[in-house]
Amino acid sequence: MENIGALAILLAFCFAIYAVIASVAGKWSKRPFLVLSAQRAVYCVWALVTVASGLLIYALMYGDYRLAYVASHSNRAMSLVYKFAAWWGGQEGSLLLWNWLLASYAVIVVYRNRTKFREMMPYVTAILMATQTFFLILIAFVAKPFNVLTSMHGVVDVGDGNGLDPLLQYWTMAIHPPNLYLGYVGSTVPFAFAIGALITKQPGEGWIYTTRRWVLVTWLFQTTGILLGAGWAYAVLGWGGYWGWDPVENASLLPWITATAFLHSVMMQEKKGMMKVWNIVLVSTTFFLCIFGTFLTRSGVVSSVHAFASGSIGKFFVTFLAIGIAATVYLILNRLDFLKSESQLESVLSRESSFLFNNLILLASCFAVLWGTLFPVISEAVTGEKISVDAPFYNRVQVPIGLFLILLTGIGPLIAWRRSSVESLKRAFLWPMLASAGVAAVLAVLGVRHFYALMSFMLCAFVLITVALEFVKGASAISSKSGSNLLTSMVELTHRNTRRYGGYMVHVGIVLIFIGFTGKAFDKDTTQEVVPGNSLQIGRYTLHVASFDQGQNENYQWGKLNIDVSKDGDDLGRIEPEHRLYRASKSATSEVAIRRRLNDDLYVNFAGTSPDGQKVIIQAYVFPLVTWIWVGYWVVLLGTLVCLVPSKTKLIWAKTEVVGIAGKHAKAEN
Amino acid sequence: MGASAVGAALVPALLPKGRAQEIKGVNESGIMGPDVVRCASRLACLCGSCKNTVGDCAMLECGYCAPMRKRIAAMQADGHSDDDIVAAIVKENGKQALASPPTQGFSLFAWTAPWIAIAIGLAAIFAFIRRFSAKPQPAGEADTELLDRYQDRIEKDTAKLD
Repeated sequence: MENIGALAILLAFCFAIYAVIASVAGKWSKRPFLVLSAQRAVYCVWALVTVASGLLIYALMYGDYRLAYVASHSNRAMSLVYKFAAWWGGQEGSLLLWNWLLASYAVIVVYRNRTKFREMMPYVTAILMATQTFFLILIAFVAKPFNVLTSMHGVVDVGDGNGLDPLLQYWTMAIHPPNLYLGYVGSTVPFAFAIGALITKQPGEGWIYTTRRWVLVTWLFQTTGILLGAGWAYAVLGWGGYWGWDPVENASLLPWITATAFLHSVMMQEKKGMMKVWNIVLVSTTFFLCIFGTFLTRSGVVSSVHAFASGSIGKFFVTFLAIGIAATVYLILNRLDFLKSESQLESVLSRESSFLFNNLILLASCFAVLWGTLFPVISEAVTGEKISVDAPFYNRVQVPIGLFLILLTGIGPLIAWRRSSVESLKRAFLWPMLASAGVAAVLAVLGVRHFYALMSFMLCAFVLITVALEFVKGASAISSKSGSNLLTSMVELTHRNTRRYGGYMVHVGIVLIFIGFTGKAFDKDTTQEVVPGNSLQIGRYTLHVASFDQGQNENYQWGKLNIDVSKDGDDLGRIEPEHRLYRASKSATSEVAIRRRLNDDLYVNFAGTSPDGQKVIIQAYVFPLVTWIWVGYWVVLLGTLVCLVPSKTKLIWAKTEVVGIAGKHAKAEN
Repeated sequence: MGASAVGAALVPALLPKGRAQEIKGVNESGIMGPDVVRCASRLACLCGSCKNTVGDCAMLECGYCAPMRKRIAAMQADGHSDDDIVAAIVKENGKQALASPPTQGFSLFAWTAPWIAIAIGLAAIFAFIRRFSAKPQPAGEADTELLDRYQDRIEKDTAKLD
C-alpha cells in the first residue's frame, strides 16, 4: 500500500510538471492539443493525489502502524472522526491535504472555464500546476507521508500509535484546519487568474469578476477557519483565550486582511477602472502571505504553540517565495501600461477616497501584525538579543487601528461615488452620529469608564445605525411603490443588489465581532481552592461545588466536578467541568464548562486538586459579550453568501473619464 | 440588536475587574495574590506552550511561571518594587523576559514602525489623490453655486433610486 501511495505522489508530480510545460508550450506554439493535454493532466494529478490521500486515510482508519505517520498521529483508542482528522494532524499529512485541495481547486477552475478565457487559461493552468509541483516536491522528497518504520529486521509494525494530540481531539479541530487550508490554498486561484490576465493583457472586466468571486469564496473559508480556531482555543485551552497573537495565528490573519482590502479596492477597478496595479499587488500579496504563513508554521523560524516539527522544509519555501515574488514584481513592472488607470479622482470627499483610506488602515494592520511576528527574529539578527512580542504589544497597536477601521466601515458606504457635497454628508451622518454619541453617553452615565470600550461601543453603534438606515431607506422606497411590507421590501432590496446589501450584512457581522472583542475589557476572573460542599463567588455568580466524581475509559482517565450555579440567588442549574489524563500521550486536558449567554459567558475550569488533596482548584471567569463573536460570524457567513448570489438587477456602471466639470462647460460653449 | 441595547442590558456585567480571593504572595497550589499578578503581568511566559504573560498564564504548574511567581512573591516580601523585580529578572533572562518590547534602543522601532508605516501610507494616498485628481480647466464664468445645487439634487435622486 505504501508503495502505491508513494508512486501516486511521484506520478502526480510528473503530471504536474507536464501540465506546466504543455500549457505554456501549447500556448506559445499555438498547438491547442498540447493545451488540452495539459488540462487533462490536471485531472490526472487530482486522481493520483486522491489515491494517495485515500490510502493514507485508509491506513489511519484501519490502523496500519507500519507507517511512521500513522504511528505518530493515530491510535486504536481514537474515535473514527479523529482518526480521519489525523490526516492533517501532522506535517506530512497536512501537506498531502494541501495538495489534494489545490488539485481539487485546479480541476474546478479548468472544468468551469473550459470554454472561457481561452487566451488566459493556459497560463492560469500553468501557475496552478507550478504551485502544485512545489507542494508535490515537498511530499515526494522532503516530508513523505508513506514512510514506513524500519529496524535491522526490516519493516516494523508497532501495534498501536501515539495518538493525536489530545488538545486536537475536539470537534472544531476536526474542521478548523481544512477550512483554513481551503482559504489558504484557494488564494492560488485568484493569483493564477491575476497573473494570467497580466501575461495576456486581458481586455475587459470578466477576469476581475471571476477573480473577485474566487477571493470572496476563499475569504469566507479563511474567516471560517480563523473563527473555528478561535472557538477551539476558547473552549479547549482552559483560560478562555480565543486569540493569543501567536505567530501561527498571526500568519492566518495576514492573508485574510489583504484579501479583505482587495474585496474593497476591487470595486474601484470594476466601477472606475482604477487601482489596477494595487489590486494585482493585493491578490499577489494574499497568495504569498498564505505561502509565507505555511512557511512560518513549518520552518521553526519563530516559536509557536501551533508549529509543526521544524526541519529542512523551510529552505524550499524560501526558494519558492523568492522566485514567485521576483517573477510577479517583474511582470507587474513590465505591464504597467496595461494597468493604467482609466479614471481620475474628483474629490477627497468621495467613495473612492474612502476605499483608499480603508486599504491604508487594513494594510497598516497587516503590517503591524507582520512586524510584531517577525520583530523577535529581526531584533535578534540586528542586536543579537531575543525580544518577546506578546499580546500587550498587539493590543496597544491594534486597538486604535481597529477602532479607526470601524469608523471607516460606518463612513465609507454613506459617501457618494465621485464626490459628496457637504450638505449630503450632513444629511447622511447627522442622526447616526447623534445616536451613537447618545449610546456612549448612556453607557458612561451607567458607569462604563473604559475609554477604548466606550469608543468601540460608540463606533459600533454608529455603523449599525448607518447600515440600518440604508436598509430602511431603500426598503421604504420599494414599499411605497409596491405596497409590500418593510420586511418583504428589504428582501427585495437585497435581491436587487446582493453585493451592496450582502456587503452591509458582512459589515454588521464584523461589528458584532468587535462588540464581542470589546467585552474583553470587562472580563472577571478568579482562581480559588474550594473544599467540596463549599462555594465561591465571581461577579454575580455563585458556584457551589456539590461533588467530585472520577472514572476512566480506554482513551483517558477523568475527574469531574458537579457545580450548582446561581446568579443573584436564582438557580441556573448544574455545570460539570472535567479534567482528563490521556493514556497514550500521558497529557492532561481540561474540558471546561461554559454557560453561554448573549450578555456574558460563565467559564469554569477544573484545574486540579491542592497538594493536600483536600481541595479542588477552580478557575472561574466571566466573559461579557464574547458570544457576539460567534453570532457575528454567522452574520458574516450569511452576508458573504448573499454577496455570492447574482443580483436581480443587472448593474452597469458608466465609466466616464472626467476632465473637469468647468472644462466640459467651456467645451460645450465653444 | 444595536450596541445601545446591548450596552444598557449589560452594564452590570461591564464593571471593573476584581479578584475575589485575597492571597498574599503565592499559595501552595500556585495561586497568586493581586500584587504578584500586577508585577507578573509585565513579564512574558517563556514556557513555549502559550503566549501569555506570567500574570495571566493559566497553567498553575507551568514550568516557567510557577517558579517565577514564587520569586516575585519572595522579592515583594523583601520590599522590592515592581521595577526592581522586573529589572532583576531581565538582567538574568534578557529582554525576552519582558512581555512587550522595551521603549528604548532598537526595540523602540517595534512600537514606532506601524505608525511610521501609516504616516507613509497617508502621504502616499495624498500624493495619489493629487496626481490622479481631475484638474478642472479654468472655469471662466461657471456658476459654482448652481453646479453644487445640481450635484446635491442628483445625489438626492440617486439615493431615492436605491
